[in-house]
Formats: sequence, C-alpha cells, structure tokens
Amino acid sequence: MINPADNTTDFSAPSMNEGIAHVVAVDGAVAWLEPEQTGSCGGCAASGSCGAKGIGTMASRLEYRRFQIDNEANLFVGERVVIGIPDNALIKASITAYAIPLATLLLAGALAQWRFGSDLVTMAAMVAGLVLGLGFSRVGAGWLLMQGDLAPRFLRRARPGETCNQS
Amino acid sequence: MKEYVLLMVSAALVNNVILARFLGLCSFMGVTTRIDTAVGMGMATTFVITVSSMADWAVQTFLLEPFSLGYLRTVTFILVIAAAVQFTEMTVKKVSPPLFQMLGIYLPLITTNCAVLGVALLLVEGRMSFISSTLFAFASAIGYSLVMVMFAGLRERLALVDVPRLFAGPPIGFIVASLLALAFMGFSGMSTS
Repeated sequence: MINPADNTTDFSAPSMNEGIAHVVAVDGAVAWLEPEQTGSCGGCAASGSCGAKGIGTMASRLEYRRFQIDNEANLFVGERVVIGIPDNALIKASITAYAIPLATLLLAGALAQWRFGSDLVTMAAMVAGLVLGLGFSRVGAGWLLMQGDLAPRFLRRARPGETCNQS
Repeated sequence: MKEYVLLMVSAALVNNVILARFLGLCSFMGVTTRIDTAVGMGMATTFVITVSSMADWAVQTFLLEPFSLGYLRTVTFILVIAAAVQFTEMTVKKVSPPLFQMLGIYLPLITTNCAVLGVALLLVEGRMSFISSTLFAFASAIGYSLVMVMFAGLRERLALVDVPRLFAGPPIGFIVASLLALAFMGFSGMSTS
C-alpha cells in the first residue's frame, strides 16, 4: 500500500537534527525557547537540549541555554515545539570555532621554529597565531550567522508526550 | 622535518590515544552515536589538548623542573587543563555566542577526559622541545578525533542492521571497538625505510 505522505516528502530539503523545546516567553515577533532536559548526550539538536552542561541546578543550566526564534507560527507560552538545526551545522560551527585558530597557531609556530629555532619565540608566535585565528573565527562565525546556518528553526508543534528520541 | 612527520604519525596512528593507550574511553563510547556530535567533540578535544599541552610544557619547563616540584605534576596539570577548558569556553563565548550555544556542551566534558591529562604526562616523559611537544599533542588529538569519527560512522551503520538481541547496544559497540583496535595494531608494523 502506498503511503500518501511518501508522495509529498521533499527529499531535496536539508535533513535536520531535531530537538524539543518549550516556549518560555513571547516578545512581539520573537519567541524565547528553552530546550528540554534529555538524558543522552548529543541526542537532540546537539548542545541545545543536553543537560550535562556546567555546574549548577538543572533550571539554571536550561535557562542559560535559552534561545530565540521568529514567532511566525504564533506560538504561546508553555507550548512544546520541535526545533531543528541543519545536519552539517555542528560540523561547520566546529571548524569555525576550533580548526581555524588551530591552523593559524600551528602555522605561526612552524614558521617561527623554522626562522628562529627558539622555544620561546615559537611559543610567542603560537600565542599570536592563536589570537589571530580567534579573530578569523569571529569573522567566520559572523558569516555563518548571516547565512542563517547556526539558527535553530521551528519545524512543528510537538505531539503530546513526544520526546526528542521519538521525534 | 622527517622527524616531525614520524612523531605525528606515531602519535596519531601507531600509538593512538584511544585504541593503543586506551585513554578517553568514556567519550569514545558516550559521544559517538552520531557523526556530527563525534566531530564536535573531536574538534573541541583537539583544541583543548593542543592549547593545554603548550601551557603544560611551559609550566613543566619554567616552574616544576627548576624548583624540583615534579611531585606536583599531576595536580598542576589538572589545574592547567581546567584553566585551558575555561579559557576556551570564555573565548568561544566571546567570539560568537551562537557558536557557544551550539558547541558549549563539549567543553566541560573535556575537563574530565583522561586523554587530555594522559597526553600532557606523555609529552613531559618524552622530554621534547616545545614545537615537538605541541605537534605530538596535536597529532594525538587528531588520532583521537579520527577514531571517534570512524567509530561514530560504524555505530550509525550498526543502528540499521539486525543485531542479535543479546548483543544490541553497547556490547556490539565494544566488539566493533576491539576489531578497530586490532586493525590499528597494523600500523605498528610500519617501516620508515
């Protein structure tokens, strides 16, 4: 038997990491969401819904992870929604945050070692390379943000009792 | 140059942190359910291992060795690693709050990752120069990330196959990890000639 839904599935749409959040505030056209606590690391929309972060109460950790989305779906406070980030967003973010500074750090260190051959100069060059790389990272992160690659997106309202592992 | 390449290949493949030294096994089993989370954890760990090893080398060379404080090495290195993680967390948060929201989870997990301390202690034992110790730490972390991503890919495939009920979940994961470790033993037969 052919499922009618199969005919309407858009296979060209980017796949998403999904997670569940609930609306904690609505401010005009913007809704503030708080990710739901989950037991497994990385199970739901990466860090957005993981509860293993930092020291402090669960409430304070989740409050710390609040984020906003455009309230185009007329969400109201207390509603549970399924949100998503593109599958490769985490990889792009990791490369921007960590690979760029590491590359400049190692490049600066290698050049200093080749040119001067002194541990102290190499160390100073690596620190300078790290700072420079963090500057590049900032530019890269701004570009990713402009492209909308890092922003969570509203996918649908969550079904009653739906958890991130079932979504 | 050849010396550095051999050092890096040895650290990343022959003496792989996870499969040869058996360090960082909790994150190896815990954060490898998806490839993208494994990449996130691997990159964050690579960054922290490299930065903390630089700091550890400086502390060892300019503080612990001259003042004969070797018995404080482990405690000092743990402190340095915690500071490096905190520095990374603050920096990423400052550089880009959205990036921090997305990647912040991996950083506190790294503080308790024994691979970070293990690499720092290994490079001190090796009595390397600054550049060698940094490259050793970086290559060790790349080896760690490589295995994490490979294992995550295997686990994603395992999730789709029909595994006998007794072996489903972590047991088949451990069996696959042991086969991967056997495969990596092949690198110990590499020759430089």
